[in-house]
Amino acid sequence: MSAQKKRTFKIEAFKHRVELDPKYAERTWKVLEHAIHEIYNHNASGLSFEELYRNAYNMVLHKYGEKLYSGLVTTMSGHLKEIAKSIEDSQGGLFLEELDRKWGDHNKALQMIRDILMYMDRTFVPSNHKTPVHELGLNLWRDNIIRSGKIQTRLLDTLLDLIHRERTGEVINRSLMRNITKMLMDLGSSVYQEDFEKPFLEVSASFYSGESQQLIECCDCGEYLRKAERRLTEETERVSHYLDVKSEVKITSVVEGEMIANHMQRLVHMENSGLVNILVDDRYEDLSRMYNLFRRVPDGLSTVRDVMTSHLRETGKQLVSDPERLKDPVDFVQHLLDEKDKYDKIISKAFNNDKSFQNALNSSFEYFINLNNRSPEFISLYVDDKLRKGLKGVSEEDVEVVLDKVMMLFRYLQEKDVFEKYYKQHLAKRLLSGKTASDDAERSMIVKLKTECGYQFTSKLEGMFTDMKTSVDTMQGFYASQYSETGDGPTVAVQVLTTGSWPTQPSAPCNLPAEILGICDKFRTYYLGTHTGRRLTWQTNMGTADIKATFGKGQKHELNVSTYQMCILMLFNSADQLTYREIEQGTDIPAPDLKRCLQSLACVKGKNVLRKEPMSKDIAEDDAFYFNDKFTSKFIKVKIGTVAAQKESEPEKQETRQRVEEDRKPQIEAAIVRIMKSRRVLDHNTIVTEVTSQLQSRFLPNPVVIKKRIESLIEREFLERDKNDRKLYRYLA
Amino acid sequence: MHKLGRGHRDKVQQFMAITGSSEKAAVQALKASDWHLEGAFDIFYSQPHIRTVTDSRHLEELYNRYKDPYVDMILVDGITLLCNDLQVDPQDIVMLVVSWHMKAATMCEFSRQEFIGGLQYLGIDTIEKFRDKLSYMRSELKDEQKFREIYNFAFGWAKEKGQKSLALDTAIGMWQLLFAERHWPLVDHWCQFLQVRHNKAISRDTWSQLLEFAKTVDLQLSNYDEEGAWPYLIDEFVEYLTENGIVQRGQN
Repeated sequence: MSAQKKRTFKIEAFKHRVELDPKYAERTWKVLEHAIHEIYNHNASGLSFEELYRNAYNMVLHKYGEKLYSGLVTTMSGHLKEIAKSIEDSQGGLFLEELDRKWGDHNKALQMIRDILMYMDRTFVPSNHKTPVHELGLNLWRDNIIRSGKIQTRLLDTLLDLIHRERTGEVINRSLMRNITKMLMDLGSSVYQEDFEKPFLEVSASFYSGESQQLIECCDCGEYLRKAERRLTEETERVSHYLDVKSEVKITSVVEGEMIANHMQRLVHMENSGLVNILVDDRYEDLSRMYNLFRRVPDGLSTVRDVMTSHLRETGKQLVSDPERLKDPVDFVQHLLDEKDKYDKIISKAFNNDKSFQNALNSSFEYFINLNNRSPEFISLYVDDKLRKGLKGVSEEDVEVVLDKVMMLFRYLQEKDVFEKYYKQHLAKRLLSGKTASDDAERSMIVKLKTECGYQFTSKLEGMFTDMKTSVDTMQGFYASQYSETGDGPTVAVQVLTTGSWPTQPSAPCNLPAEILGICDKFRTYYLGTHTGRRLTWQTNMGTADIKATFGKGQKHELNVSTYQMCILMLFNSADQLTYREIEQGTDIPAPDLKRCLQSLACVKGKNVLRKEPMSKDIAEDDAFYFNDKFTSKFIKVKIGTVAAQKESEPEKQETRQRVEEDRKPQIEAAIVRIMKSRRVLDHNTIVTEVTSQLQSRFLPNPVVIKKRIESLIEREFLERDKNDRKLYRYLA
Repeated sequence: MHKLGRGHRDKVQQFMAITGSSEKAAVQALKASDWHLEGAFDIFYSQPHIRTVTDSRHLEELYNRYKDPYVDMILVDGITLLCNDLQVDPQDIVMLVVSWHMKAATMCEFSRQEFIGGLQYLGIDTIEKFRDKLSYMRSELKDEQKFREIYNFAFGWAKEKGQKSLALDTAIGMWQLLFAERHWPLVDHWCQFLQVRHNKAISRDTWSQLLEFAKTVDLQLSNYDEEGAWPYLIDEFVEYLTENGIVQRGQN
């Protein structure tokens, strides 16, 4: 295709000016004016759109745009003034309807007028910076109707009155409301805001202020919150039905402010129905409602959280100081666990698992658990109880759940090293008396402790388990090597404990009866033969024995007793009667243990294989003991009390605490040396802070103790004071 | 001499009397120290070539006079005799200063080296010269720096050989002696506190820090800083004072 020059046609305006005769312009205008009247009088059907359009077009074309425009303004204003009057004259309820109807009319008219005057709108208006027709129409409506003196206030009052009525329970014409507010919005957002929204919010504020005052006097907390919630829902719904969507957040914050923020303290602390009561009664719905409402106002949640925290701390403090509770450690810990469960549930069901509440819960527990310095001991006793018997028949998952819950309490402890000491003691007793209900559960607990505190914490505990296993193997080896020798003599089952892994017991060796000395020595020889360089010591305060006994009428029983008790009973093979002193001399058992053993042998109903004179409950130094040949029991095998782990007596507790304090000293010193070695020069306060943070996973060191350790290290020339600044310490290599 | 003002002339006289120096040396030293006597003493004694030469024969004689018959050391009897000759009480604090100059290792004994070396340093070879030097030595206690050195020296000197700490009774005795020179009003309370609450030996750190405490903390304890890294014994002392109402802690 060859490029041809395109020929275009252009249409040009007349080159000569076509003047329009002013009279002609006037005539044209009159036509249009008349049309506008007809439109407003609902007689538009008789008009010809085309003719009117052409007329308007001509006027603009011939430079009579100004006349047209100002004519439009005058005519329209005139009509609007009439309309205003008719609206003003309408009575009562008809006022809004009239307004609405006239608005509808006006819009229709406006549309037609604009269509007619389209040419002017597109050409004259922009180039002369006039307001476009549609907008003009709205502005005129606004100025002549809405902002007219009589109508303005009446409109606002009517609207507010209707809303008030709806709030007090009446049904109103919502669609009419919608139309009116939409009108206001169409007139411009500033009209909506100035003429309606602002006063609406003010009036609402005073309405809700009044209502909330009323309600707070007569409702309890739960009821009040329910009503507040309802009002909020109502307002939101109102907005969606007949207000501008942007009003929602404004009106809800008014309601929140008046009903909730202003009465927060009073609600939360309301007697008999306030937050504390709701917490105590586990009313999840009310709590949830409170959470959702308070969350909307500043400081709302922190108020709730603070009240919950102080209540929790108070209850917790009472729990740990209550002397009744403290009598039973297992019960004590169970109560702590229950309390934790309760609040966990509240936080998850009602407080949306809010982390800040979770933290408040944790800090409260940490606070009051450590108020009682026996908490570590008691928690260990609880675990001891569960591992002995409490978990029999419970499924594996449930075991894990219980232990995990206990671990949560453990984490709150500040003095974890005290717990470790007790746990070791209790574990030792469990293992040696064969009282663990489930090996798996024991192991699981150790694993949890290891995860929490590291390998060092549990290495000794694991050592104890290893010893038990090794002992089984050792026994097998022993009996294999004794195949010919045992015969009728007593058999022995030995557990060899590595010192250092096991809690140090002051071993008071007693005199073992001759009957078993033989086999004991054989074992010793066997063991030392296979393990040279070791030393064995019998721990006579920890073993058990099974003895066959024949009583008066020939009844045979098998008695399961402690080693001490065995030593005592065997003495009665050579004498029917022995005094306390004779027994003491013959066995060499320390006095307090001896008394306890004799009590369990002679004073307990059903287990009294010995008879005591006098028959008192307590053992006195000049009591006499007789072999009780009248002993009966329906069981062949009789077990005579091995003592389960109990909470310590006062002196024992002091001793344990002292040992803990002693153990802490080297740990503190090691931390100081470690820190100083790397930092070389440090001031006193920084050392204290660093040491505390290094040791906090085990215990909270006392700053005075740290200072004493520093001085001890200065004395031993590990550290020195700086010569110029006495607050600085220097590491001496 | 007549070129000097009256005050200066007096000082020169004093200086010569105490140090046994020539007038020229006296004026020189005093001028150099801006006519402050103590400063002048320091200058005079620290200049080796001005130091009076001592006669080593005299020193030997002196030593032998006081030395114990069985051991090559001056022991208690010798010291008593020395004090007699010097006309001072053996408990006089000036003997501590003497020991300090001699760098004596332990109280109540001087080794040959310590005795002779110390006297040489001081430029003494006769009892008369020794006696004359005593007032100078007393004046040294007024000097802050020297007092501190003497105080700290006293710890090592007063404690038992081979011990790390100072027995409480000895410490109390030393404190009373030392704080008579440099007045510290709380010294009696301190000693009482120790006997009641502590009743154990005193560590070197506590000893030296006590002087700092006495120097820096005022009697109302208003500038006592709990975070001040004072030894714990001093912290406890402060507690003791406030508990017993001996001091009303001034709050700033």
